[in-house]
Amino acid sequence: VQPTTNTVEEPLDLIRLSLDERIYVKMRNDRELRGRLHAYDQHLNMILGDVEETVTTVEIDEETYEELYKSTKRNIPMLFVRGDGVVLVAPPLRVG
Amino acid sequence: MSRTIAENSMVVLLQGLQGQVTTVDLKNESTARGRVVNVDAFMNIRLDNVLYRDRRGQLTQLQDLFITGRNVRYVHIPDNVDIMKTIQSQLARIHRVRNFASHGGGRKEFATKTK
Repeated sequence: VQPTTNTVEEPLDLIRLSLDERIYVKMRNDRELRGRLHAYDQHLNMILGDVEETVTTVEIDEETYEELYKSTKRNIPMLFVRGDGVVLVAPPLRVG
Repeated sequence: MSRTIAENSMVVLLQGLQGQVTTVDLKNESTARGRVVNVDAFMNIRLDNVLYRDRRGQLTQLQDLFITGRNVRYVHIPDNVDIMKTIQSQLARIHRVRNFASHGGGRKEFATKTK
């Protein structure tokens, strides 16, 4: 919500380059978001459209002590994300 | 009474949701769905006519709920909201109040300066 320049001067400017693009957001508490970045601010509060949230949990098998990773996904059309939960912002991860 | 204003922050969008029914996901894994009464600069949110779902899924109806900003994880934006228009109208509202006393010299009966 601020006037913008065209040059990349600080880390937040790199996020500006991703406006209107799909991005990957790693959040605290083993959550990840993939969605289209509509807006953001200096706190990393963000508005994401067409979001997929992935919550990952680890269950330990009591007998074998195996780690079982489970992930739960859900889709949300438009989401406001509070910045203090954001760990990193990146272009969507590509496989291969 | 004084009021902290956030004009450089996305909180202004949440403030523009006044009157709308939304769902707020809290950091403690619970959710609150209700009508937005007010949002302040710290993202503290006041909801009324709330359906509160705790982390176990148990539902409670609440007439009034105050959520501290620090406890907010997500706010679901209703489909019918135009993000840019809402932000612009909120910023216009802030600037209108700010310019109220300065442009035009304020109250005319106390004008001592001549241009």
